[in-house]
Amino acid sequence: MGYIIIITGFLLVLIGLWGILSQKNLIKIILGFTIFDTGINVVMVSIGYVKGKTAPILDIISAKDALKSVVDPVPQALVLTSIVIGLGVSALMLVYAIKLHHDKKSLDINNFKDLKW
Amino acid sequence: MVTPIYIVAVILGLAFLLGILKSSMTRLGSILMIGGLVFITFVSGQWLYEFLVNHRATDIIYTAGFLPPYAINLQMGLNEAILTTMINIVGLLGGIYLLDSLKKTGINSMAIFIVFVMSLNVIVMTRDIFNLFVFLEISSIATGGLILLDNKRKAFQAGMKYIIATGIISNFLLIGIIFSYYFASSLNIDGLIAANLMSIKGGAIALFTIYVSIILELKPFPANGWGIDVYTASNPGISALISAGSATAALFVAYKLMPMGGSFWLPYFAIIGAITFIGSNLMGTRQENPNRLLGYSSIGQVGLILMIIGLSPYLGKDTLLIGFSILISHYAAKAGLFWLSGIIKSKNIQGWSALRKHPYLLFLFGTFIFALIGFPPFPSFFGKWNLIMALAAHGQYAWMTAILAGSFTEAIYLFKWLGYSIKLEVPEDITIKFEWNKYLPIYLMGILLYFMGMYLAPFTEGGVYINFLPLAFVFLLFALDFLPVYVKNTLSIAGIIWYMVRLFPLLEHDLMREIFAGIFLGGAVLTLVAGYAKKGKRPGFYPMALLMFSGLVGLIEANTLLEFFFSWELMTAGSYFLIIRGKRSMPHGYSYMLFSIGGAYAILFGLALAYASGLNISLAALGHITQLTTLAYTLLAVGFMTKTASLGLHIWLPGAHGEAESDVSPMVSAILLKAGVFGLMLLFFYMGTGTPGSEKLLYVLGWVGALTALSGNLGAVFQEDAKRLLAYSSIGQLGYILFSITMMTQLGWLAGFTYTINHFMFKAILFLVIGGIVVKLGTHNMYEMGGMIKKMPYSFVAVLISIIVIGGIPPLSGFAGKWLLYNAVIQKGWYFQGVVVFFAGVIAFLYLFKLIHSVFLGQLKDNHRNMKEISAWILIPSYILIIGIMVFSAFPQWVLKPIGNMLTVYFPKSLYWQGTRAFTSLGYWDGTTTMIVVVTAFTLLLGWLVIASKKVKRIGQFNIVYAAERPYRPETTHVSYNIYAGYKKALGFLVTPVVETFWENVSDMVLDFSGWLRRIYSGNMQNYALHVVLFIVVFYLIALGGL
Repeated sequence: MGYIIIITGFLLVLIGLWGILSQKNLIKIILGFTIFDTGINVVMVSIGYVKGKTAPILDIISAKDALKSVVDPVPQALVLTSIVIGLGVSALMLVYAIKLHHDKKSLDINNFKDLKW
Repeated sequence: MVTPIYIVAVILGLAFLLGILKSSMTRLGSILMIGGLVFITFVSGQWLYEFLVNHRATDIIYTAGFLPPYAINLQMGLNEAILTTMINIVGLLGGIYLLDSLKKTGINSMAIFIVFVMSLNVIVMTRDIFNLFVFLEISSIATGGLILLDNKRKAFQAGMKYIIATGIISNFLLIGIIFSYYFASSLNIDGLIAANLMSIKGGAIALFTIYVSIILELKPFPANGWGIDVYTASNPGISALISAGSATAALFVAYKLMPMGGSFWLPYFAIIGAITFIGSNLMGTRQENPNRLLGYSSIGQVGLILMIIGLSPYLGKDTLLIGFSILISHYAAKAGLFWLSGIIKSKNIQGWSALRKHPYLLFLFGTFIFALIGFPPFPSFFGKWNLIMALAAHGQYAWMTAILAGSFTEAIYLFKWLGYSIKLEVPEDITIKFEWNKYLPIYLMGILLYFMGMYLAPFTEGGVYINFLPLAFVFLLFALDFLPVYVKNTLSIAGIIWYMVRLFPLLEHDLMREIFAGIFLGGAVLTLVAGYAKKGKRPGFYPMALLMFSGLVGLIEANTLLEFFFSWELMTAGSYFLIIRGKRSMPHGYSYMLFSIGGAYAILFGLALAYASGLNISLAALGHITQLTTLAYTLLAVGFMTKTASLGLHIWLPGAHGEAESDVSPMVSAILLKAGVFGLMLLFFYMGTGTPGSEKLLYVLGWVGALTALSGNLGAVFQEDAKRLLAYSSIGQLGYILFSITMMTQLGWLAGFTYTINHFMFKAILFLVIGGIVVKLGTHNMYEMGGMIKKMPYSFVAVLISIIVIGGIPPLSGFAGKWLLYNAVIQKGWYFQGVVVFFAGVIAFLYLFKLIHSVFLGQLKDNHRNMKEISAWILIPSYILIIGIMVFSAFPQWVLKPIGNMLTVYFPKSLYWQGTRAFTSLGYWDGTTTMIVVVTAFTLLLGWLVIASKKVKRIGQFNIVYAAERPYRPETTHVSYNIYAGYKKALGFLVTPVVETFWENVSDMVLDFSGWLRRIYSGNMQNYALHVVLFIVVFYLIALGGL
């Protein structure tokens, strides 16, 4: 089970990366990034997963046997942070996409080669 | 003590506060922003003070009430304090600099700005790797926002490229962090170090992913197109922050994560750093856009520091010092340069000549360039010195070569740029407005560089002995630059004389140094006297002349390798500025600088080998080179020969000396060239003839000397330009000197000294007088002169005496040199070389005749009828030197006898004195008697001539008696253009500029290669993303895939 999730995560990472490197439309590239991010998040969650244990939320379980019954809380915290960061990055990318579209009325990545050498 | 956690808290608080302010309250917003930046600068500054002054122990700051690994901890030690202070200072200054732009874009951009600076602080301080990731992301996002500050097409594209690339990089970093956590159950850096990931199966891949991401953050070549675009297109104020601030933080990340992987990864750091350093600088050579150029340079410098981190096993405890020395130079110089670029707003580097109207900014520009290259007294000089010495001590010659090669390519474009800004016409479309908030940060960075140089000097072995007194005098002169020439001239002369009085008693018993000190400082005084002839202010001349002389005197005073090289570089810097002052000197100053830097690096390499041989910093180490002995001596010799302009390395000289100002030519010819001679003599003294390879080296150099003499003289013969003729003649004379001393006999060295002293005197006279005439007549071309003997009799006599010396005609001292030289040649048995030198001597007569004939004899030209004698200020030093020549000619034993005695320590004695008479096994010569005889005969003849000429009828210039036809134009009766046409036909093939062509081809090849290389930066952002991914794959395959 754990392996399947990890592999799925990495598959998502690769799909995202493929999207970033092959798509010509800026929006699709940005979508590639979000898939990439999601894949990493899945991998993260799966790493902290311990079979048969529950979420590290102290409301549902008693604090006494928390250590025995919850999965590793650290990756879960990391995932939360990572989602927030991913949101920030995506927002910024979209801002840039809007700016670029305003400028040249195009979202094709090949149209933005004014800077080189 | 304010704990550094407030850096985060206060800035976050301010950022939220700024977020809720009304958008019209920009004034309040900017006060809050600057206030916040001042506060965090104060916090980090007070920690720095504590560490430096009170030697406080490193502090760990815990958060959230838990100990690590359950909570994040920050570390504040000396390193962190230094770096956060640096970051906050550049943040504060950058904030002040950008105030207008930030106000224009609104309060939100101010919030982003302070968050950006704060995030860099945390990146430096945090000991938690996930926290590190978060703040790297924050800084990336903030950077992405700040790039938008300039609402321009290129900025949009650059920003998009930046986010795409950093997005991929940080995702990889995150993967690495997760797996490190998976394997080591810790996110704390110290915990990860303790867990030793390399020993855990799979841990290596986790580490790889972290390292590759951190390296990619440093924009390694070639996966850095996105980084260069950001430098190019952002507001220069932002680029300054990225270059000085972000790079500083990212480098420290590499440094603090380094222990996690142990020694396995370090070579890869070093290799990637080296490739980046060389590749980036190489591509910079073709770049004309100032911001982009600075981008290339930034990336190159960061590569160098990454390399230093990678080489830390060889550098030991000096790693931090070396890294810091180079980092701080890069930091201050790059920030300053980007800020300057923001003021100048030019699209190409040619536009920077606008600085010519702003001498203080130009001075700062020069400061930054020299600091980047690693000239003294800047910190990078000490950094590079220590780096090279430490590498040599461990036998890491390939790394040394890589560092010096990269530095050289950097010099190629930086000095082209500096040359443009000093020499090109001021562009009309660029005006520099004074804005205090933009000037102040640049000035402060300039001051910081000088201060740090002085501060760091004593940390280097031997650095405490460096004498900064002459440099202080140079600064004083720069501060007084607004004064008229005669005041500064008097001050300079007084300063030099005072220094001489102080120096000579210290040089007792060291005749060689006394002689060279006499040439350097005595020559300085004499050539400066000629400066009284100049009017106005001569901006910038005196500080630079004195800089050169302080370098020269430093060579004399040097007791350690470090002092020697320090002075050598000061001299180079000063002379560069002197040479480039000439009207058409831009290309010549440039080639002089490139040859000098190349030579300096050869010398540095040689000195490092000397140091490595016994870990001895004193100059005497040159006598005990055991590491690559032959190579070391060869490199040192080649280095010194770039200054003596020996064949193959001479192409800079004719232009540099020929186009220089009239009183600069004697300085750089009569005086400066002797620095190379001094170096060679010193080298040969220490080398001796017994060291391995020295016989062969001396033999080859002997031939080089002989051929230099020949080609220099031949070059002079076919010149029409009076000053270039003299310049070529210098090449020839220096060839004689090299030839004589390579014989390594007492006679050879005596000849060498005699030629050195003679060349100093006659070349100073010739360049002073001919230079004066050239200025007066307004032409360099000898065929446009003529008949000056009647208008300028004193000049004529001075030139006549000088050419008698060069020609080696008795009774003057030139004959002494010749006599000694031929004795030495016969004694040594170097007959073939002797023939070449003899032939060169014959050829010398041709150009000497041409000089005096074309300028002084023949027919006066129509436009020169009202000419007067040249300024007395030029004639006075010339005649003082003539007195010197006369004394040396009549009483050569006064000088040559002590030199001979000194030389007997090193060589078997073969010259004996009996009163005024000098003996060798081949014969004798008596300077005094010869002088008496010749002077008597001359006086008698002259007397007779005067008496007899009373009856002579004087005739006018165009009297029919001159020719069969009546000449109206003087040109028709005075053959002076191409007078050696016949010889040219016969010998012209010998003066085809083979060497020039060779160097031109080399330079074309480098530029072509650079042009080809930079095509990988196609501008397509997807390609750049692909570069990043490929970099990861290739690095993986090489490091872990067994490739």
